[in-house]
This record gives sequence, C-alpha cells and structure tokens, in this order.
Amino acid sequence: MKVLGLIAGGIILFIASLLVAGANPVTAVSQLITGSVGSASAVSGTIREMTPLLILGVSVFLALKAGLFNIGAEGQFVIGSCFSAATMLAIGGPLGVVVGVLIGAIAGGLWALPAGYVKAFRNGHEVITTIMLNNIAINLTKWLASGPFKGEKAVSASTATLPIQSQLTPLIKVGQFELPQAVVVGILLTLGVGYWLSKTTSGYELRAVGANPTAAEFAGVKTKQVTVKAMFLSGAIAGIAGALQIAQFEHRFYDGSSIGYGFDALGVALLAGGNAFGLFASSFIFGALNKGGTSLMGLGIDKGITTMVLAIVIIIFAAVKYRQKGGQHD
Amino acid sequence: MIDLFKQCVTMSIPLVLIALAGFFSERGGVINIGLEGKTLLACFFSVAFSSKFGPIPGLALTIVATSLVSLIHWLLTQVYRMDHIISGMAINLLAAGATSFFKFKFAADGLEDAAVPPKMLLYALGIVAPAAIWWMSNKTRFGLQHRSAGSDPDKARLLGINPQNIRFSALIGTGVLCALAGSLLIAETPQFTDGMTSGRGYIALAALILGGWRPVNAALACLLFGAASALQIQYNGQYIPSEAWKSLPYLVTLFAIAGFLGRNRTPAGLGKP
Repeated sequence: MKVLGLIAGGIILFIASLLVAGANPVTAVSQLITGSVGSASAVSGTIREMTPLLILGVSVFLALKAGLFNIGAEGQFVIGSCFSAATMLAIGGPLGVVVGVLIGAIAGGLWALPAGYVKAFRNGHEVITTIMLNNIAINLTKWLASGPFKGEKAVSASTATLPIQSQLTPLIKVGQFELPQAVVVGILLTLGVGYWLSKTTSGYELRAVGANPTAAEFAGVKTKQVTVKAMFLSGAIAGIAGALQIAQFEHRFYDGSSIGYGFDALGVALLAGGNAFGLFASSFIFGALNKGGTSLMGLGIDKGITTMVLAIVIIIFAAVKYRQKGGQHD
Repeated sequence: MIDLFKQCVTMSIPLVLIALAGFFSERGGVINIGLEGKTLLACFFSVAFSSKFGPIPGLALTIVATSLVSLIHWLLTQVYRMDHIISGMAINLLAAGATSFFKFKFAADGLEDAAVPPKMLLYALGIVAPAAIWWMSNKTRFGLQHRSAGSDPDKARLLGINPQNIRFSALIGTGVLCALAGSLLIAETPQFTDGMTSGRGYIALAALILGGWRPVNAALACLLFGAASALQIQYNGQYIPSEAWKSLPYLVTLFAIAGFLGRNRTPAGLGKP
C-alpha cells in the first residue's frame, strides 16, 4: 500500500513537473521513446550510452554482492580512462589498446584499494572513503590532463587524440546501426561475473560475506581479505569501463569526460536486483533515458527531467527491495 | 592579508552551516550524503522566492521549502525504511535534475540588488550557530534525546523516546541549516547555475567526520578547509598546483576515517532503524 503511494507520487511528480514547465507530457513521453529506440541510429545511440553503464553496473553489482556500496565507481572510471589513454598513446596500435585496457583495470583497482582496506581493517565506511577518493581522482586526472599527459595541440585539459589504428571500430555496422565492440566486452564481463558469483567457491565466499559477515567468518571465510578483494575487482572493472570508453568512443581523455556514469551505475546495479542478468535490462533502460533525454532538448525540454525520472525509479525500487528490518514496528 | 581573511570567511561559513546541517541528521542516526542536493535545492529556492517576494519572505520560504525536502528524506528513511545511502543519492539526483529542469521557468535571471538575501544576517547566524548547537546538543533535553537516537536507538526506545519522532525534528534542523547555507551562497553570487554548490555538501560532510561529529570541532574543520581554499584562490597555483589544494580536505578526511588521526567517533547508531 505504501509502495503504491510512492509509485503514484512519482508519476504525479513527473507529470506535474512537465505541466509546470509548460510541456505536454504525451509529446514528451513519445519523444523520449522515439528518441531512444525509434530508429536504427537512436538505438545505436542508446547502446553507446548503455555500454559504460553496463560495465560500471557490473562493477557496482559485484561490490554490492559483497555488501559494499561502491560509490567510487565514478573515480575509478576516470582514473582508468586517464591512465589507459596515456598508455594507448604511448604504445600505439592495437597492442596499445590491449595494454591500455590492462593498465586501466589495474589503475581502477588500485584506486579502489584504500576504500577496501579502510573498510576491512580500520572499520571506516566505504561510502565516505569512496566519495573522498572520487574527488581526489577528479582533481588528479585534471592535473594530469593539463600537465604531464596534455596533448601538444590541446587547448584545454585534454590528452592527444588516439591514432586511427588504436581506435576500436564497431563490431557490426549495418546502415545507421552500430554495435560497438565495447558492449560485447561488457556482455561477456556480465556473464563471467554472474557465473563466477554463482558457480565458484570464491564467488560463493564473496556472497557469504555480503549476506552475513559474522556467519561467513565462523564458516572459515577470511572476510577481511574477501572485502579487500571485492573492492579491488570492482575498481578494476570500473577501470576497464573507463579504458573502453576511451578506445571505443571518446578517443582521448579530457577533464569532465564522465558525465556521472559512475553514479548512474549505482542505480543500474540496484535496479538489476539480485540477478547479474538483470544488468542488461537496467543498463538499457538507463541508457535509453540518457539518449532520449538528449533528444528532448529538441522540444525545448531540459534533460533534467530524465535525471528526475531516474531518481524516482531508484527511490521506488529501493523502497521495495532495500528495506531495513528491526526497530519499533517489526 | 585582510583580503585573505575575508576570503577565508566567505569560503568557510557556508561549509559551517552545511556541516551543522549534517550534524543534526547524523547525530540523530540518519546518514546524510544528500547534503549536496539539499543545499543545491536551497540555492534554487532562494533565487526563485527572493526574486518574487523580496529578501526576507524569500528567506523564510526557502527555509520552509528546504525543510519539506529534508522531510522527504525522513519519510524515505524512517517510514519507508529505505537504505540511507540510496535515499541520499536519490535526493542528490532528484535535486540536480529538478533544479536544472525548472531553472529556466523560475530562476532564469540573476537577482536584483534589492532582492538579494540578507548577507550579514546569514554570516552572523553562521558564526553563532556552532556554539548554539553545542549548547542545544549538550545542555537541553532535546539535545540529549537527539544524541541517544543516533547512538543507540534501541536503548532510547526502552527509555520511552521514539527515535523516529526525534529524527523528524532533526531533519527539519538539517533543512533549515541547508536553507541558510544555500541563501548565503546566493547572497554572494546572486544567480543560479547548475551544480553551483560544487561539492560543498561533500566537503562539509568531510569536515563533520574530521570534527568527530561534534559541532564546534566540525566548524573548526570547516575553517581549516575554508582557509585552504582561500589560500588556493590567493596564490592560484603559484607554488602548489591548485588541484592539489582542492584535494587536501578529501585526503585529510581519508586519513581521519582510517583512524590515523585519533579514534573513530562514528555515532554507533548511524544508519540503524
């Protein structure tokens, strides 16, 4: 009953917002749909938006399974992007891309490590540490992109553009439709992580730590090590997302190249529920909203409305799925 | 030197207000990473209301509206029992989206001089607030009940205190202080821009943690961070890159959470129902 109230509240807020801003809700919704899945090029755009969200979603999902909120995906993504771009530029060619993705993964993992360590051994909340690490990451990469890694011709804080041999081409290209290689990597990663978590001993241990750390400790799981490992893996996957974003789409690293993908990824992972395969649907929805939001600009409706929709979706879902127990009424 | 001092005050006082807003909610047991969003909404309300109704009614309406937003946070965490982190994130998202969406309609232009929020009053409030809140927290009935709700909600219940009710009042306090902080930011730069709080909510949270969740210490930490950014503005990357200065508060907080700067003082009931 309470949940129905929340859903009704969310819908009313959405429609009222559009009416107050002087837009027609029906045209806005239909534009949102045609702009995101209405044509081959729109679908390609949605897949492009979906790609980083899927991979970052896997990253946050993995941490969530270990009972960790990795709000730091944003920072790990940016660090991964920055160092992989520098590596790809230094080595060049297809080999550069492979090494770049590897460096991106390592950089992202290392960036997440302090949060895992502080959580496991110093009892400090990972949300606070990752928020701090995010802000440091943004400042550090800005400095790197405007100093040591700055491209010769770049005017603002940016690296040089990747040579054409180091840019990933679409895997399939039919007319307006493009399937990027990065999204295929994302799908494989999702399947891999899903398999690892559900079918292997180490994956089971990770889930045990997330579900009940005390019970896991008594069952002989080294919970502290598992926490640190989960955070490192989560960071490494976020770093891969950053590296692929450079190789496939951006072709250079610049200050402000992430538009908050890491924060959206938390929503993606929550919306997937307990199931890794749910990430496909949730990242697609978030990608479609991002893409559709951009096409709303053509109608003079600010993209902010889609951010509001995302927030409302997260609130409704979390109210159903992530509720606390205990206290007075239980 | 005078400039540096002035700069330091300008940078610190909004942080002090936001950190104390965080004190109200976190010491009452509600984790608040939504401070950034609430302050951003307060900036928006301040421009929207002050341009229509003048500075004093504008300030009053901003306080009411921001408190209502803060009560949404109460509703989500206490009635719907949502995870505190997720609800805080959602409020930040909602604030970023809503302010960007509505700004052309309600806050497109800068404020005229006559409509600017009362700057001196807000600074004065920011200066007395830490001491006033220390007094409230340590010397009044409400203050002690408030801290009990954040330290051990189950024991508080045994003593006949309802933590949910205490947190209702606490989150109104959060809303009021965020409203003051947002109005102060608008008084300094009377125009709303997207994301104009630029991470102050997180820096204030950092200061609150560094101050061990105590009002006066948190205010001192804000002063420290404010002084760091004042120095950064004065010397503008002359000796040390400005990015390094900007990272300093976060780095210090990281060490504080890791327990390298004294013992961990996190309220024991933080995030508990």
